[in-house]
Amino acid sequence: MAGAEGPGEGNSLVDRAAEAVGGVVLEALETAKVGVAADRWAEALQTARDDLGLSFFSWLSAVHWANDPQVGDSLSEEVTERFELLCAVSDVTAGELVVFSTDLEAADATVDSLIEVYPGADWHERECREMFGITFVGHPRPENLYLPNGFVGNPLLKSFPLLSREVKPWPGEVDVEDMPEVMGGS
Amino acid sequence: MTIAPDMVRHLSGAAVSVELETPDMTLNIGPQHPSTHGVLRLVAKVDGERAFDVQPVIGYMHRGYEKLAEVRNYPQITALINRIDWVSGYANEIPFMVAAERLMGVEPPDRAQFIRLILTEMARISSHLIFQASYPLELGAATPLFFALRDRERVLDLIESVTGGRFHPNFNRIGGVKPAVGAGPVTRKTIQDLPAGFLSETRDAMDRVLSTADQLEDLVAGNEIVLARTKDIGVIPPEVAISYGVSGPILRASGVPFDLRKVSDYLPYHLFDFEIPTGENGDCWDRWWIRLEEIRQSASIIRQAVDTIPSGPLQAKVPRIIKVPAGEIYVRAENPKGEMGYYVVSDGGLGPYRLKIRSASFSNISILPWVLEGTLVPDIIAILGSLDFVLGDVDR
Repeated sequence: MAGAEGPGEGNSLVDRAAEAVGGVVLEALETAKVGVAADRWAEALQTARDDLGLSFFSWLSAVHWANDPQVGDSLSEEVTERFELLCAVSDVTAGELVVFSTDLEAADATVDSLIEVYPGADWHERECREMFGITFVGHPRPENLYLPNGFVGNPLLKSFPLLSREVKPWPGEVDVEDMPEVMGGS
Repeated sequence: MTIAPDMVRHLSGAAVSVELETPDMTLNIGPQHPSTHGVLRLVAKVDGERAFDVQPVIGYMHRGYEKLAEVRNYPQITALINRIDWVSGYANEIPFMVAAERLMGVEPPDRAQFIRLILTEMARISSHLIFQASYPLELGAATPLFFALRDRERVLDLIESVTGGRFHPNFNRIGGVKPAVGAGPVTRKTIQDLPAGFLSETRDAMDRVLSTADQLEDLVAGNEIVLARTKDIGVIPPEVAISYGVSGPILRASGVPFDLRKVSDYLPYHLFDFEIPTGENGDCWDRWWIRLEEIRQSASIIRQAVDTIPSGPLQAKVPRIIKVPAGEIYVRAENPKGEMGYYVVSDGGLGPYRLKIRSASFSNISILPWVLEGTLVPDIIAILGSLDFVLGDVDR
């Protein structure tokens, strides 16, 4: 089954979206993904809502691209340390969804808040702020959503260690017996 | 006792000359409150009987699944995501599995997809039955609880007979489903399938669920107190719901006929006939009614699926060590509470580089400050209950 939501063959949703907001098409499997410049972030999402009909606010979050992470595996290639801010918006008729993406500098991660465009961005931006340390300019309530007040650090940064793994390494890494190469099938 | 005539004169002549001062009071609801389905705290400013500037305080259930997922491999993550919305644990697994499978280019066999679909719809019925049990209770009607929970138990028994778990099945495997628990010894692969009698018991249970839905409707829809407490209370207009990312039954109660089962293909829903019930006013009453109607629709889907389930293997061929090729994908599904989705960023390793969990309840209750502005204090409970959230699904 091919993806009905994504920009499959002959579906130009992602191209239309990129053209409308003046962005570039980024690679993502079965998912329309458009990159825009950080200084045009709120403007691009406004266009998406008004001109593309993507009025449903699905989610907003970020990816911390970093080398030498404290948790998880290292990336296979060296990257410039940065945040990739992602925002997924959709329509509520055909279910077309576009993920907008912008790169923010790791040292100065500041971007306009989307709260004027999508009120639903409120909590998502607060979460993103405390988890990654990204500043959303124009957010009326930049307070912690999950973490206690006074918490030091941003837990979803790759440089933030996971305490339980520091205390005890994962015990399930060693297989006790040799298993067949291929599972399932007949 | 008779009232003296001059006393009556005195009362009628009295005028309230002093404006009563009603200073704003701060009212704390929760974090432990029966209507919050977990630990949610609301801080409301109260002027007399009206609440203003209601701020939900969440995070009591935050377990950091997005971080934990970064140190786990793909098969291990299903055990985590089961616990996001524990009322419909099975349904949480589906979009993640589909995301990983699509990145790997694996497609589960038809029979596995049907089993996934049947169990997902059972999870929906059990989640909505919990709502049908708890919501009237919050409004003061205890009887529907017994009817709803009795049938939820039947549905959970069926889920358990296949998966071995009532709440956290952890049943999906990348490329298919686990051999069923009640199906015989694991060494004999040919008979590891749905347990004997599952299909007929499912038909039976669906008949009962449908008759219970009718009973619930009789019990609740004819109750004047319930009507008075829910009609035109907590109205969410469609455009507000959409801009807040409110999804699922709440969005449909506001009159938006949007259901990912109709527009997305994460499971073969296109093979079945079902309708998307929509409300007219977007009030508490519509949200109650939508979830009742969705029980009926899910029962109908399950009946059709049980009648047409194909035979065949349960598992596609996958490597013993699951490695997901580098790439990104967002897969979302219509969970009982709304849009549940996973944005998976893979770098080709054993586990995801980043896993963003989009849960329905988080966005659904972010509308609380808007919808509770200026409501009567007793209506707060009616509105909270009608949003049918689970704090595990809010906090992740």
